[in-house]
Amino acid sequence: MTSNQQSSSHQSSYHHKNAWFSIAWRLFCHESKRGELTIILLAISLSVASVLALSLFSERLQYALTEKAANYFTADRMLWSANPAPTQWLEKAKQSELTMATQLRSNSMLFAGDAMSLVFVRAIDENFPLKGTIRIAPQPFAEGADTDLTPAQGEIWLESRIFQLLNVQLGSMVELGDIKLKVTQVLAQLPDQGFSLGNSSPHVVINITDIKAAGLIGQHSNAWFSYSFVGSDEAIIQYEDWLLPQLDNEVHGWDTAEDAKDFWLSRTIRKAGQYFLLSSLLAIILASISIAVAAQRYCQRHYDPVAIMKTLGGSNSQIRKIFLLQIGFISIAGIIIGTSIGYVFQYGISTLIANQLNIELSGWYWRPFIIAIFTGCCCAFLFSVYPLMKLFSVPPLRVLRRDIDAKPLKFTFNLLASGIAIFLLMWAYSNDLKISAILFASGVILVLVLLAITLVFITLGRRYAQAEFSPGLAGAWNLAWARIQRRAMGNSIQLISFSLTIMLLLIVIVLRNDMLEQWRSQLPEGTPNYFLANITKQELPELQRHLATFDVFPKEYYPVIRSRLTAINDETIDTTIDKVKKKNEKEEKEIKIEDKGKAKEESTDKEREGFGREVNLTWRDTLPFKNEIVEGTWWEKDVPNSVSVEEKVAGELNIIIGDKITFNIGSQIVTASVTNLRSVNWQTMQPNFYFILNPDAVTDISPTYITAFNLAKDQKSELNKMLKPFPTLSLFDVDYRIQQVKDVIKQVSAAVEFILILILCAGSLVLIAQVQASIEERQQELAILRTLGAKGKLIQQSVVLEFVIVGIISGIIAAFANEIALYMLQTNIFEMEYSFHFEFWLLAPLVGASVVGCLGALTCWRLLRINTLKLIREVM
Amino acid sequence: MDIKPSDSAILTKSLTKKVKTSEGDLQILNPIDMNIKYGESVAIVGASGSGKSTLLGLLAGLDDASEGEIYLDGQPLHNMNEEQRAQLRGGRVGFIFQTFMLVQSLTALENIMLPAQLAGLSNAAEQAKSLLEKVGLAHRANHYPNQLSGGEQQRVAIARAFISKPKILFADEPTGNLDAKNSINIESLLFELNKKFGATLLLVTHDTDLAEKCDRQLHMHAGSFVETVIPLTNSKHDEEVVHDV
Ligand SMILES: Nc1ncnc2c1ncn2[C@@H]1O[C@H](COP(=O)(O)OP(=O)(O)OP(=O)(O)O)[C@@H](O)[C@H]1O
Ligand SMILES: [Mg+2]
Repeated sequence: MTSNQQSSSHQSSYHHKNAWFSIAWRLFCHESKRGELTIILLAISLSVASVLALSLFSERLQYALTEKAANYFTADRMLWSANPAPTQWLEKAKQSELTMATQLRSNSMLFAGDAMSLVFVRAIDENFPLKGTIRIAPQPFAEGADTDLTPAQGEIWLESRIFQLLNVQLGSMVELGDIKLKVTQVLAQLPDQGFSLGNSSPHVVINITDIKAAGLIGQHSNAWFSYSFVGSDEAIIQYEDWLLPQLDNEVHGWDTAEDAKDFWLSRTIRKAGQYFLLSSLLAIILASISIAVAAQRYCQRHYDPVAIMKTLGGSNSQIRKIFLLQIGFISIAGIIIGTSIGYVFQYGISTLIANQLNIELSGWYWRPFIIAIFTGCCCAFLFSVYPLMKLFSVPPLRVLRRDIDAKPLKFTFNLLASGIAIFLLMWAYSNDLKISAILFASGVILVLVLLAITLVFITLGRRYAQAEFSPGLAGAWNLAWARIQRRAMGNSIQLISFSLTIMLLLIVIVLRNDMLEQWRSQLPEGTPNYFLANITKQELPELQRHLATFDVFPKEYYPVIRSRLTAINDETIDTTIDKVKKKNEKEEKEIKIEDKGKAKEESTDKEREGFGREVNLTWRDTLPFKNEIVEGTWWEKDVPNSVSVEEKVAGELNIIIGDKITFNIGSQIVTASVTNLRSVNWQTMQPNFYFILNPDAVTDISPTYITAFNLAKDQKSELNKMLKPFPTLSLFDVDYRIQQVKDVIKQVSAAVEFILILILCAGSLVLIAQVQASIEERQQELAILRTLGAKGKLIQQSVVLEFVIVGIISGIIAAFANEIALYMLQTNIFEMEYSFHFEFWLLAPLVGASVVGCLGALTCWRLLRINTLKLIREVM
Repeated sequence: MDIKPSDSAILTKSLTKKVKTSEGDLQILNPIDMNIKYGESVAIVGASGSGKSTLLGLLAGLDDASEGEIYLDGQPLHNMNEEQRAQLRGGRVGFIFQTFMLVQSLTALENIMLPAQLAGLSNAAEQAKSLLEKVGLAHRANHYPNQLSGGEQQRVAIARAFISKPKILFADEPTGNLDAKNSINIESLLFELNKKFGATLLLVTHDTDLAEKCDRQLHMHAGSFVETVIPLTNSKHDEEVVHDV
């Protein structure tokens, strides 16, 4: 104390012009021991921490995913061309300081003695891949490992199954076109090698210098060149701007790494991102509510000091500075604490993710910091502006007439100020005007509805309270109800903030539970990690028997046939087949397990996008796993020529129930009418189809089959034996990616838990602030009751009862509002299934009553411990 | 006759105060003319509700007059806005209140320093310490008001009132909240310090002992001065300040 005092005396003699600074500082120091400033400080810290942690985390994750996508894509940008690109284009790339890799892709026949096989040739240069890595295996079907090598001239790397197909070993010679090449490596995986059901030729890799000799380029070649680029963002964009206008759509294509983003991971991350966004918004709102409550309380307690200062000659500007400075101190402290917590958290999580995904997470992201600091300041100042303005308006006359309060400011001003503050925060944070507006508008409506409901509750309660109650608690009960009624408006605001808080907590908890559950159920133990395609009807029984000896029992074998959609009703297509074909070849690089919005990518000028494309058809009697009918009905037996269409594709192609769709299957034309539209869960890792036919529609067609199965890690070595008798099957290993998704989900889940904790803290803060404020407000009443001889127990009981009642009502309202809000959120934003949460209707009032009641009891107990005299003195 | 404002510590001309109530305007101060000289000590006495505090508030510029003129230390308060009046008060006017009006979150010492700091005076701390000594509370410098007794709080308030070496001191029932023994202490402290600093003292009180210690007493009734009581001690300033009605 003494040193503090000395330093302040020091200050005042040298900086007496800035007396307000030292007054503010000393008030701040003394006040920081009291509740309100602590609450404001914690609230600011919480909102800053959650905003910073989550936006930094999201931004880094987004970056990591883009980087990862670039790895699958092997570059940042890629130019496709049917013939070698003009040298000036490549020169320009070099000038722009872009690194480039050239590649040629083509289907070709590969010979080894008498054996031959259709293969997909990838002729690469030593720069390939610019991002990501090639994986090679020591022997066919063995576990792959990363390599920096590329095939030298005269070498060829083969995929495992070609070794079986052609019966060759490492070191054998094979013939490709006109040249002989030596087999030097087992190709486990190319970074950009996905799989597609239609074109499933095994891959081989050769050196690009061999293409001419191999006869891969020439008049009738179906080869495509690809030129991939990496470089700084500016260089890439500059080059893109220069190049794109020169491209000819017939022969050139231009792709970005963004297009290759893993749909599935992105979706998971996007959902998590939305959750983070929502949660942080809620954290901000909760923090703001507690700031508003605490600031209100703080200012009210300073009416006297302000009146005194004004009386003693303090000018308005001095007083403004003194109090704004205190908020400033608090904000700075809160921002420092908040950013530290936020940064440490996101650092931990991001480092884990970076290790998991094998990517460097570097670079500074200023936006999250700026937003976090902005959030802290907004919360601190915008939500205290109304109480502060009231405080500043306190007239000095209050020192003589205690009943004089601050000049009543328009309450609408307060609403307006907080409303604008919340909206600005939402906007700044979500970066999306529309979403913020929608969220904000629904929030406003929600508050209005809550207001109406609470008023109804209070009016009902008034009637109810007039009834007789058990004599034991009757006194406390009546006292409690009397208080609730007397301050109907004040109580309804208190009720709203309790309800809102409990509701927001419920929302965050339910969404967390549902989302984690969904993620867990998405990839349960035993999720298929291998796909087998190209199974012929003849092979099927033999394969099943064979797999069974390895304890592998695929759930289902799906018949698949490649077809072309040629007409919808009478509308036929006149698309240039060539273009479509080339496009299809190009698609080889993409993973087709799930929908990638392909119909959109294939946009043509036609009215129906993606019309005339190739589609994989299947047929069956029953609705597939995790598919749901959204319109129409699934077919009964013996219905002629029906087709079931996935809803999104139906939307894109303008297909409605009753339309007749014509498929060209081989040489056969099949026309079927649409009997239902279906939603598909693309996340099941099961083969999924846009179009499913009724089995009667395809009687004479012999399909191949596709299946998916799970293979435990220790069984992988048996793959070779497992597939040896079936050399023509195509095997796709998706284990690596599933593992990756699982790991990412684990980290994202950790982040979800973190935000949940933050939100719970923010929520508790509101409850504490509110209870503290409302009990201190009735300090006087308690003191008078006390002096009038009311027993401490009665007072305590009545106060606790009051809060229990308020807690129960808030809980019920919260449970109700929670259902509505969840319904809107889950169906509109999170694309989840809505679920009714019966348990919360019970839990919310219980938790509300016990938490609010306990807080009330604690605060009241503290108050009653102060002896009556002191209580009265504090009040007077 | 016309009195020059600069000659008086406090001068009012036809000062009135009306307030709006639900039943229309209520006149709580009838036109008042008063003149208090520098160095004078004046007690305003009267029944509860007679308008003493209202008058004090007007004279100190804490409230707006409805009509009339007020000159405080020669300055026309009635022409000033709240901000200017606050500035005028700072450094010239001291206050003592019935309820002490200490800032609860500042220590005794800091409370005393407050007016000096607001006025931008240097060495506020040293002055505050010497004042705290004078009121006999040097050992309580770092105590908060709620750790002090009523009498002690009022002594701190008195010290605070004098820190800016005020020309005029307003006191609204300074002993109203104190027991007899404390009242006597406070009274003597107040007059002792006032003598030393030579301030003009205007105090409102119910306490006749206290009132009698003043040079003059003004009796209020229903918003007006009802008679002039000639002080027992001194008859120098007996001229006017009459009433009406
Ligand atoms: N703003 C106001 N609105 C209505 N009535 C007022 C207002 N201000 C003062 N009054 C009334 O004016 C009268 C004088 O009040 P004032 O506080 O000056 O009395 P007082 O002489 O100081 O009384 P006490 O000795 O009890 O302190 C009272 O009747 C009071 O109710
Ligand atoms: Mg009074």
